[in-house]
Amino acid sequence: MSPGVTAFRCAGCGAIFFPRRLMCARCGGATFADARVSEGVIEEITVIRHVLGQTDWGPRRLANVRTPEGLVLTVGLRDESGPGERIALEQDGTAPFGRAVGTPAGRS
Amino acid sequence: MGRSLNAAIVAAGQSQYVRHPAPDQSTHTFIRDAVLALLADAQIRARDIDGMAVTSFSLAPDCAIDLAWRLGLSLKWILQDTNGGCSSMNMLGHALRGVDCGAAKNILVVAGDATGLGGYAKIAANYNCATRDYLAPLGHGGPNGVYSLVTTRQMKAFGLDKSDYGRMAIAQRTWAGLNPFAVYRTPLAMDEYLSAPMVADPLTRYDCVPVVAGAQAILVTRPDSVPNGQPPVIVRAHRASFNHDQQEGDGLKTGISTFADELWEEAGCGPADIDVGSIYDDYPAMVLAQLNDLKMIPGGDMKRYVAERIATRTMPINTWGGMMSAGQPGGPAGGLNGIAEAVLQLQGRAGERQVKGARRAVVTGYGMTVYRYGATAAAAVLERAS
Repeated sequence: MSPGVTAFRCAGCGAIFFPRRLMCARCGGATFADARVSEGVIEEITVIRHVLGQTDWGPRRLANVRTPEGLVLTVGLRDESGPGERIALEQDGTAPFGRAVGTPAGRS
Repeated sequence: MGRSLNAAIVAAGQSQYVRHPAPDQSTHTFIRDAVLALLADAQIRARDIDGMAVTSFSLAPDCAIDLAWRLGLSLKWILQDTNGGCSSMNMLGHALRGVDCGAAKNILVVAGDATGLGGYAKIAANYNCATRDYLAPLGHGGPNGVYSLVTTRQMKAFGLDKSDYGRMAIAQRTWAGLNPFAVYRTPLAMDEYLSAPMVADPLTRYDCVPVVAGAQAILVTRPDSVPNGQPPVIVRAHRASFNHDQQEGDGLKTGISTFADELWEEAGCGPADIDVGSIYDDYPAMVLAQLNDLKMIPGGDMKRYVAERIATRTMPINTWGGMMSAGQPGGPAGGLNGIAEAVLQLQGRAGERQVKGARRAVVTGYGMTVYRYGATAAAAVLERAS
């Protein structure tokens, strides 16, 4: 688990993307630099309660999150944060997660 | 496309639809059954087919050419489309152009899937790189998780509540009751809809398409050589859009919004001239989004349109029951159902669910969720040749 989420900023025009693109949708450039995105505001949430093919499944909370950089991410929620709340983003492997700002990683 | 193209849809066939295929049933056998039904409907032989387009998520490791071989078809035009809920609309467009330019005379367009529930779950978790890397690790539950968020956005943006989607599900179930191929035909009550188990808030069981196994086929040929004597169905206009907003919007507008005006202008008619609609219904919210993009909903008042037109069935939408009640072959194959249904309606062959005097239909495809919502969309205006 690492704080923030790695997004990708176009070296040519500065546009930022997540997930990673092969070419910039703005200028067509193909060079990107990592850009750390640390927080966002929850716009919508859902709770995944049933998944096809899964018999042992606990509910998972997902959120649509908008960041100050203008990105919109789908993240897994580590706590009971809800719409309108600011959350800190963190990355587990490739996937983005979030929890209420000020909540240390490892607590929920 | 449309007026200038010398091509039409003239026949349709489908296999049985089942929730749980028997051990001796597979994607290939369902496709075979749909092709046999199509040949019977068209009154042609397999050797008359000289072009084939197919879509399926469960044909692998076979490809289109393997299917052609196993069906005994010798072809001079072939296509395989992998663009999800839009695949059938894509195939239709290519087939129309293929016939028009003389690349083939009789093009079979077929779609089938038999993934099983577990197989569909694996597909949903590995749909593309973005899903595999950024969504599946969250436990997003496949497209249900994606469209639960889109549905919540639509409810906020358009002042909708669950009962609005319930009216849509109930109307489609009523249509399904008139379709012997539909897997769910028992009437659905609002109480039952509202009390159904939650799958991914706010989506409940009846908002999510039941995965089935089955296949569908249509025949595209020249309108002046229709062996079965049925009135050819002309495609007045066909448009598509892919990745129209780079996934940077809210998902409430589909690619249809980019071409709706062109579509109607080329078709020479407008939303008010449409008698029947086949709108890709992976989720009720996306039916409303597409109808709104098509400018079928006056003033964008979705709530009123649902209550006054869809629920009353005065605007016949998804008259075969849609995928929500008839079932979605677990992959892209569901997209051909709506096209085939429009053909049957316009040819006056839809049985108990026939819309009286149906002459024009609008059909759509939508899907291929690349990250936050679908990135493919297409629509066509179909008309019974006079």
